[in-house]
Amino acid sequence: MKAMLFDIQRNSYVDGPGIRTTVFFKGCNLRCGWCHNPESQRPESQILYYRDKCAGCGRCRGAGDDPDFLCFHDAREVCGREYTVGEVWGIIERDRAYYDASGGGATFSGGECMLQLDFLEANLKKCRENGVHTAVDTAGCVPWESFERILPWTDLFLYDLKCASEDLHREGTGVSNRLILENLARLAERRGDDLVVRIPVIPGFNASEEEMRKTAEILKGIRRRGTELLPYHGMGEHKYAALGRKAGAFRAPAKEETAAFEEILKGAAAPQAPASGIGGLRPESACATIGEKKNNRRERRKDKENDDGQSGTSEAAV
Amino acid sequence: MMTERIRKLTELTLAGRMYAEPVKTRFDREDLFLPRQQRESKRLCEYIANQEPVLTACSLMTGYFNCDGSVVGDAFHRMGHAAFRQLQEDFYLKTVDNLSTMEWQHATADYRTVLEKGVGGILKDIDASLLVHEGEEEIEFLNAEKRVARALIQWAHKCSQRAAELAGTVTEEEYRQNLARLSGALLKVPENRPSSFYEAVLTIYLCFSADPDSVGTLDRYLAPFYFDDLENGRLTREEAKEYLQELFLMLQAATHVSSRNFTRGGESHFCVGGYLPDGSDGFTDLSRLIIESLMELPTWIPQVTLRWTAGTPREVFRFMMDCERKDPNKRIAFQNDEKRLKCYTEICGFPFEKAVAYTTVGCNEPAFTGAVTGSNSKVNFARSMATLFHRDSEKILDAASFGEFYRAYLDLLFADLDRAYDYDDKYNRVRAQDINYLSSLFFNGCIEKAKSLTQGAGDVAVASPMLIGIPNVIDSLIVVRQFVFDEKRVTMRRLVDALRTNWQNDGELRAEILKRGDFFGNDTERSNEVARMLYRSLYEHLAGKKNLFGYPWLVGDLLGYNEHHKWFGEKTKATPDGRRDGDLLKFGIGQSEGKDRNGLTALLNAVAGLDPAGIGCGSTVTNITLDEQLIKNDAYFEKTVDLFETYFRKGGVHFQLTYVSREDLLAARKTPEEYANLRVRVTGFSDYFVKLQDSIQEDIIQRTTER
Repeated sequence: MKAMLFDIQRNSYVDGPGIRTTVFFKGCNLRCGWCHNPESQRPESQILYYRDKCAGCGRCRGAGDDPDFLCFHDAREVCGREYTVGEVWGIIERDRAYYDASGGGATFSGGECMLQLDFLEANLKKCRENGVHTAVDTAGCVPWESFERILPWTDLFLYDLKCASEDLHREGTGVSNRLILENLARLAERRGDDLVVRIPVIPGFNASEEEMRKTAEILKGIRRRGTELLPYHGMGEHKYAALGRKAGAFRAPAKEETAAFEEILKGAAAPQAPASGIGGLRPESACATIGEKKNNRRERRKDKENDDGQSGTSEAAV
Repeated sequence: MMTERIRKLTELTLAGRMYAEPVKTRFDREDLFLPRQQRESKRLCEYIANQEPVLTACSLMTGYFNCDGSVVGDAFHRMGHAAFRQLQEDFYLKTVDNLSTMEWQHATADYRTVLEKGVGGILKDIDASLLVHEGEEEIEFLNAEKRVARALIQWAHKCSQRAAELAGTVTEEEYRQNLARLSGALLKVPENRPSSFYEAVLTIYLCFSADPDSVGTLDRYLAPFYFDDLENGRLTREEAKEYLQELFLMLQAATHVSSRNFTRGGESHFCVGGYLPDGSDGFTDLSRLIIESLMELPTWIPQVTLRWTAGTPREVFRFMMDCERKDPNKRIAFQNDEKRLKCYTEICGFPFEKAVAYTTVGCNEPAFTGAVTGSNSKVNFARSMATLFHRDSEKILDAASFGEFYRAYLDLLFADLDRAYDYDDKYNRVRAQDINYLSSLFFNGCIEKAKSLTQGAGDVAVASPMLIGIPNVIDSLIVVRQFVFDEKRVTMRRLVDALRTNWQNDGELRAEILKRGDFFGNDTERSNEVARMLYRSLYEHLAGKKNLFGYPWLVGDLLGYNEHHKWFGEKTKATPDGRRDGDLLKFGIGQSEGKDRNGLTALLNAVAGLDPAGIGCGSTVTNITLDEQLIKNDAYFEKTVDLFETYFRKGGVHFQLTYVSREDLLAARKTPEEYANLRVRVTGFSDYFVKLQDSIQEDIIQRTTER
């Protein structure tokens, strides 16, 4: 059994508790305009071409999508390749000692990892059999039966909630949020103690007081372990160009804006939410602002070069 | 908070006004007619008697003096005595066949002895030794030691007198009392065993003159005095902190402001924590106080290392990493006792209770308290790889397997190593011509054996020449195995031709190697296996071998203060790792110019698993450059603490951290005036980036920033 992945990142600090290895699945059924990993959206492998790095040497002429072709100038790369469960596990298991020490584990993310369900389930089982903590990072736009399949093997869900209003959701992501909200409610009922809701903060989309209040209303009924705000940053924009696409016009929120949303969400703490960490993990704050996920190492280096200081990484309990 | 007194002393220290200026001494020319040891020790005593203590109105300690090299056998200088200096003239930074060169030396006095019995007790030991030894040279040596020990006591009395005189002129009551207390104490110590924590610190302060290098395992020597005084209400933690801070300021002041080394933290380095002889972890409240005292001071000398054990509580490790991340002067490093003691007991054969007495000195070299470091040399480790491809390629062109290639390489490597280690012995033989009268008082075995420090008196020491270019060799081996044998992408002939033309005729091959190479630090089966194979070969070749004094040979990879990686590199032809003719060699392990692409856990796994036997527990260093978010953000910091604790549990020997970005370093090169305060880890020491030599700056810029 194989699946198309676009990155496996070791030593991740941002995709769940402790030190983690994050496996990024390729293919997503949402088309969020602000997505900082546009190369994660299509399910097949793609060529990214960075015009600014191209030296015009012509070596790539006729290379097609040969995954073995190597551009010496880093101008052209093939994004996405197939992995077996054994290959993925071979990478995950190398950092076991770090997971054990820090309360970390493996996170399956994307794209939408639940679209390659058999492979996801096999990986989760493999981790569970070997005592490695598992997290699934999902946008939740899949049939509930898919959740049923992975519930027994998943220790933590990182559940993206883009916005509360259905029309706005459809406009921003291309799909309705009805299924997402239904799944969220069911998941909270079944596994609220193992659920962290992650909300992007996107000015021009959901970053309004009205929308955040609606989101807070929804969250009031959601039993969960924590809430995280992910402020938008524009560091994936160059990848749109590399894919021949145009990036949407978004901006990073000011720190004060994000802080105001934290205040709003503070009132949405579910009464049953656990007071402290669970499952042997260290306590996490009930709601925190974290840096927008940075999906691969190269990107994070790029981020550093471009960092305009807008992307908040401070943690603030709500 | 720092007291007003310490604040004043700090100001004076950083202004260079606490430096003990040597007082030039005229010697009687009739001395030349005396036998050697009598002459040299007589002059040394006269020199000591002629010095003047550094005293200010706010002093509570004094007695450190500097030697100016005018007499043989004075303090155990990093630069050594007459014969060692001659050696330096001929070999220091002047390589032999681009293979070997020599540098400075280190030693750590054993303060435990003088704290247990005072110099008076050491005098009794000398008398006892005189009854045992019969040789003329030995008796002369012991008599010389006796003279020097008495001179040291007289020196303390002179300091006492000066303190009393100054007390008479000081109006402020607290300071006047301090000076009176100091004057009284110097009549007692170091002649006698100290009877308080204050007197113990004062003893070290004064005796540091004999070995101005490392104060060693300070938290062990001082522990009995500290806890006894605390328990009996004779001392508060705040007072203890002040005494320690005055000691640390003296360590900073010992290097002259005009010296190039004034800003370099490696001038003095010591340890806290680590295994005690009974097998328990030695980090105590005194260790913590030592660190707190040091961190309050805006100085950079001394550096300090936490010796971590499997029994070190996470809270202690976290405390040390927390101090480290907040320390702009980059003074803290970390060593793993588990790996080091495995090496010292299993490879070196030292009894556990002696092995635990190691400390780190200078740029993280291991040294045993009461002993000299056994080696001064630097070795071009990559030379043999270049020789194989540029001179002896017929031996490998037909190699049918990587194993066959590797055996051909090892023949050359071992021939180089044997020759380089032989040179190390030769340097030591010359150094042994000097007699260290002053230092030998405080080193183990000198009095009992009636033998000078550099003549092999110590019973526990290691010899660890520093092998420059180990990362280049590991990566070269990986490239040969991957490209020529595993993937068969290139023939050996093509690789040889490429190297012989310095890649000129095959730039694509070099580009492909740099992009696709499965280099060390990526934690892949192949790269780990090749690196371990090399270390296993080193272990098989060196384990059980000893230098001329019987110190076990180990492997080190440090650089030290000088640009050996540049000088060796300039004369070393292209190597298969993508290095071109004349490029810098890499030193240390785990800093790999972006060749590690799989993240920090991968790098740490590779380094931790490199050397299961521990032959690399010589002078070794792992510099890691981190994105500062990983330590600035508190939630991330906790994960980083877990990360490095796990690295130690997996077998890493050492690490020290720098958080500056590559962009900042490049900017600092362009506009150094804007980055005057930027401190970085260099090899084993920290220094201001803009003051470093170009080639050393270049090495730091090339390190991968781990995120």
